[in-house]
Formats: sequence, structure tokens, C-alpha cells
Amino acid sequence: MSDFLKILENEVQLAALAFLALVYTVRLGWIFRFKTRRDRTAAVGNERAGAGYSLMNVAMPWAMESTRKRPGFYAQFVVFHIGVAAAIAGTLIIPYAPGLFEIRPVVILFQAVVAAAFVVGLVRLVRRLTNPVLRRISSPDDYFSLVLLIVWFAAAVAALPNRPEKGEWPLIGYFGLTAFFLIYVPFSKICHYLYYPFTRFYLGRSLGHRGALPPKGTKGRKTRRAGEDAA
Amino acid sequence: MKREKPSSSGVVDSPLDARTQVKAREDGLPSVAEGRLRTYEPGDNRGRFLDLLAKRISRPLAVSMTACVHCGLCAESCHYFLARPDDPTMTPVWKADQIRKIFKRHVDWTGRIAPWWVKAGSVDGDEDLNRLKNIVFGTCSACRRCTYNCPMGVDTGLLVRFTRGLLTELGIVPEGVFNVSRDQWETGNQMAVTEEDYLETLVWMRDELRTELGTDDVDIPVDKPDCDVLYTINPREIKFDPRSIAHAAKIFHLAGESWTMPKWGWDQTNFGLFSGDDRLGAYVARNVYEAAERLRAKKIVISECGHGYRSTRWEGYTWAGYDQTRPTESVVVTVKRYLEEGRISVDPSRNTEPVTFHDSCNIARSGDLVEEPREVLQRVCADFREMFPNRRENFCCTGGGGLLSMAEYRPLRLEVGKIKADQLRATGARLVCTMCHNCVDGLNDVIKHYKLALRVVQVLELVSNALVLPASGERTKQSS
Ligand code: SF4
Ligand code: SF4
Ligand code: SF4
Repeated sequence: MSDFLKILENEVQLAALAFLALVYTVRLGWIFRFKTRRDRTAAVGNERAGAGYSLMNVAMPWAMESTRKRPGFYAQFVVFHIGVAAAIAGTLIIPYAPGLFEIRPVVILFQAVVAAAFVVGLVRLVRRLTNPVLRRISSPDDYFSLVLLIVWFAAAVAALPNRPEKGEWPLIGYFGLTAFFLIYVPFSKICHYLYYPFTRFYLGRSLGHRGALPPKGTKGRKTRRAGEDAA
Repeated sequence: MKREKPSSSGVVDSPLDARTQVKAREDGLPSVAEGRLRTYEPGDNRGRFLDLLAKRISRPLAVSMTACVHCGLCAESCHYFLARPDDPTMTPVWKADQIRKIFKRHVDWTGRIAPWWVKAGSVDGDEDLNRLKNIVFGTCSACRRCTYNCPMGVDTGLLVRFTRGLLTELGIVPEGVFNVSRDQWETGNQMAVTEEDYLETLVWMRDELRTELGTDDVDIPVDKPDCDVLYTINPREIKFDPRSIAHAAKIFHLAGESWTMPKWGWDQTNFGLFSGDDRLGAYVARNVYEAAERLRAKKIVISECGHGYRSTRWEGYTWAGYDQTRPTESVVVTVKRYLEEGRISVDPSRNTEPVTFHDSCNIARSGDLVEEPREVLQRVCADFREMFPNRRENFCCTGGGGLLSMAEYRPLRLEVGKIKADQLRATGARLVCTMCHNCVDGLNDVIKHYKLALRVVQVLELVSNALVLPASGERTKQSS
């Protein structure tokens, strides 16, 4: 393996990761600068249960009409994000646990998962380009982030067997894109996962306090009965 | 601001009509003179708007501004888009993006690095602010149905209310919003009911009830101290539907309740919820809380009203900076308890027409009551049937967010009412029951426009119909 690839897989990745962590830290500091208001009402429900339920929303496609009615959309979401996780894992396995990718079925499994995400990425791109609503709301960042991910998935599929002796370009492409990603992500829509816990927590806490979430009938939900609304 | 193609609904082009604002200023109305109610003044509104945006935004709202991934999944949760599927400007995400892009450009530093890349944008002047007004007041009833359908937890309903609040500070509001806010600031109630009218109506209803029940024992007490219940109402009840007060009084009487209505602080509705004006919200809610305090009432009971319930039970305490010290509940919950405790008896065979129930968004999605009204209706009606979708997934009556007061948006409101009309028609019911006075008007508009064979009723009316009077009372009634 060339020195260039070695540095790209290690030092460059770590530097990019450090940059990402730095921007995220600044970003979190920025979010915490905004104030929250204390709810002065007596609770009917349970804030923690509401927040917990809301945070778990990602794994409960039945919880929202929008995902319940469009199971295909949800399935694509799952495949896409598992693909992202597998492609990220690949960038850590190759430099730090290369033995794992010497097991052929493991490589094939990772490739299959990332390839499926690649296909979903293309479907999403076509939808964004053809659906009038998505076209109207999409920003250049929305398109660029998606295209970047699609290209990155393709690079991952090519690089995952980790055979620098057969040519370093797939690995250079994969790790080069990953480094670029780590620097670009904090400024793009891709960092939505940083906000998810916040939006979900605040919404769930507020609706949990009122007893609107989790919906009545959900197991483990503790609420006061009507008339027990003691202040 | 880069202009986007205007919505084909034409709503975004509605002009700003500030005539009543000018008159209020000229008349020297105290609320205007003291700066509580803001009026429109041409000038640097852009600067003030941006200042307010940066100053007022809270953390939950800031993350709702940043978290949207433009997936478009919320589109089909909105009755505006469902009724106008070829118009992307009716989607929750497009509406929210109109304020989001300003936030990105002026508050979010990542959006300032390359604004065009993330579609950040600014406002040029009052014309742009007026367009924004038409979007947040005219194309959204702040029903929060999209909020419950966003995978990211983006609260578009709250973003819309927040934006309305900024515009209200500048007087860039629909004329109806200004007028109702003015009335509530000036008179303490949103329909400018005078104390004389209020008290006379209560006496009138008391007398009607005495005749109906054949006894002088029944009363509608006013300002009686140390009662268990302080009953607060919607001014619409005084103006257009006083029978609803008589229904409540009849139920309280038969349940043997110790109750009173306040002479001041009786309006539980709150236009601050719709205009986004937390100051007005605080003022109106505090009137109610202080009435309870003054009369040493043990509990505040709120008559059937969606936004009144949300404002008085939930938002008002926080707006007013007032820690809740006494239970505050909807009258439907009170009635449910009477039924459970056997304090009133009912006969469901007195309500034989098929009834369906419309969940008010402010109660079901932004409040806690979903099963309670159903439990009451199951007991008082012979044929109760659900509409679909229901509970927290129900569609708005179309009159939410104060839209009933905004005449300029009425054609669009009725057009998108098609979704509600289809939902109502499919139930096959003859009565649609709701626990919200605002929904009564919203639903009536839809029923009339789409020529549906339905009548709108409220829970108390059905309970009152079904009440079984104690033997002596029944005898007196029959002989009268
Ligand atoms: S569903 Fe949520 S994240 Fe998706 S476009 Fe709508 S508001 Fe944005
Ligand atoms: S709050 Fe209701 S009316 Fe407004 S955009 Fe969302 S779903 Fe539509
Ligand atoms: S009027 Fe009724 S249905 Fe319509 S928004 Fe208000 S509470 Fe919701």
C-alpha cells in the first residue's frame, strides 16, 4: 500500500473527523444559546414517556400516518440509512480491523447493503427531480448531498474488498470522498441527525406533558384519570 | 428576496388593509396608545422583523428551523395540499420554508456562508412581509397535523404561529386579526360583549331554565365566592348560542354542583393563540386565573372550545408566567365525571339520530382530550359512529387558526374544506358533534358550501337532551 493511501486512510480521516467534531461542538453551543421556556402547567401525562416515544419514532413506522400509508418510503429510508452505517463502518474496518474484510461473506454482505442503498439513492434522486413538490422545495445542497452519497456508495462497493494490491484507486476514491464528506456534512442537510434528538425531544416532552404522547392505549403509558388533574 | 411563483390560489397577493388600524390610532384606543396593540407604520419594518426574529426564537423553534430535510413527507398530511395537489405552495414544508429561509440567512451562521446553496433568503420590505402574512395567516390553520406526520419532529404549526407573532408586532396582519385582537384588549373578550349584555343573557338563560325545569331553585350564579367550579365561556355563547350556557347550567344544577361564573375574566377564548401574540395571550389567560383567585374557586372549568381549552388549560399559564395552582379542565371532563359518579342520569334513546364526532385539533393534537368526549357520547347517544381519520389524525374543520375572522381567505378555506366535507359525508351521520364553538362555525360553513345533510351539535346539547330529570322535576315539567 502506498504511503499516500496510508495517510489518507489514517491521518487525513482523523483530521477530517476532528474538524467535524469541532464544528459540531460549535453548532451544539449555538443551539444551546437559544432559550427554552418552563412549562408552568400541571402535567396530565409524562414528559419522559412522551420524549422517549417521540425519539423512538424513527423505529415506529406505524406511529405516523405519513409512514403508515407509505411503507415503501419507510423501507427505502431504512435501507438508505443502513447503507450509510455500513459505508461508515467500512472506513473504520479497513484501516483498524482489516481482518474482517478478509472474510468473503462479510465483504459480500457489506457490498450488498451499500449497493441497495445506492439503488435507493438513485430512486430518491429521480423522485427529487420529478416530483413537483420536491423540486419546488429542494436547494442545491439537497441535490448535491444526495448525489454525493450516491457516488460515495458506489465508491464503497468498489473499495470494500480492500485489495490495494489490485489497484489503489477504489480505496483512494472511497477515503477521499469520506474525508470530503466529514468536512462538508456539518454545513449540509446531512447533519440532520444532530438535530433529530432535539426536535423529537422537545416535541415529545411537550406533548408528553399534556398526555398527547404516547397515544392513549400505548403500553406503559401512565396518566391521571379524568378529574385527577390536581395542580 | 427572490420571488417564487405566486400560489395559484391568489391568496399571497392579498393586500394589507390597515384602515381599522389607522382608525384605532386616531381614536386613541388605550391598547394602541399604551403600545399593547401594535399598529402598522410604513418604515423600517424589515429591520424590526429581523430583530424580533433573532430575539424571540426559542430552542425548540430554532431546531425546527434547522432540522427539515425536505423529504416532503408532510405534504399529504395537510388539507390544503390534499385539496390542491398541484400546488406545492400548499405543502407545510413550503410554507415553513418561507420563514426558514429568512432564519437561515440572518440567524443561522451556516446559512450565511453560502446562502444560495441552502436556499436562504431575506425580505426586501413591507411587500415581502405582506406576502409572508398571507402565507402564514391565509394558507395554514396552524392545526399541527403536519407536525404529527414529520419524521424529524419539525413543528410547522408552531413555526407558523411564531411567524404570525412577529408580523403582529408590526401590524402586518389581516384586518380581522387586528379587529378581534383590539376587541379582546379593549373589552377583555373577543366579541366586545358588554358587561350589561353578558349579565342580561345569563339572567335570560336562567329564566328559560326555570321555566323548563319548573323550579326557581335553578340559578346561574355570578361572582359567588368559594364555589367548587368557576365556569368560563366563549363570547360566541353570549352572542349567538346562549342555549349552550343553559345546557351547562342545567347539568350543573342536576349534578348539585357548587358553581359560579365570574363577572370579569369569563372569556376563556384567546386570540393571542391565533395572532401569535403572547402578550395578549397572557393578558386574557391571566384574567381567568385571577377571577378564580379572587372568587377562591377550587377549579376552573372551560366550556366547549378548542382553542379556548388549549389556551386556558395549557399555553396560558406559561404565557402569563403564572404557575398553575388549581385544576383547570374542560366541561366535557366534568360531565364525564358526573356520569361516572352517577350525579346525573341519561337516557341515550333521546338522541337517536346517528352522530359522529369531530376532534378539534387544539384539543386532540395540542391538548390531552381524545377518549373523554367519546366516553360521554357513547353514554348519551344511541348511534355513535367514528369519522375517519379521527382523534389526533382528524382533519381541521378549516376554521382553525382564527381563519373564520379573515374574510379575504374565505374562498381558499372553503375550497380546501373539501377534505372535511368528504370525511363528514362518508360517516352517513346526521349530526356532527364537536366540543369547540369555533369548529361549529367552521363545520357549518363546510356543510353549507358542500350541501351536506348534517347538523352541528355540541356535547353539552346532546347530554342535556339525554338528561333524565329527577321524578318531581319531570312531573313539574310535564304539567307546565
Ligand atoms: S416531513 Fe418534516 S422533514 Fe420532511 S419536508 Fe416536511 S417538515 Fe421537512
Ligand atoms: S399546521 Fe395544518 S394547515 Fe398548517 S401546514 Fe400543517 S397541516 Fe397544513
Ligand atoms: S376550529 Fe376546531 S378543528 Fe378547526 S382548528 Fe380550531 S380546534 Fe381545530
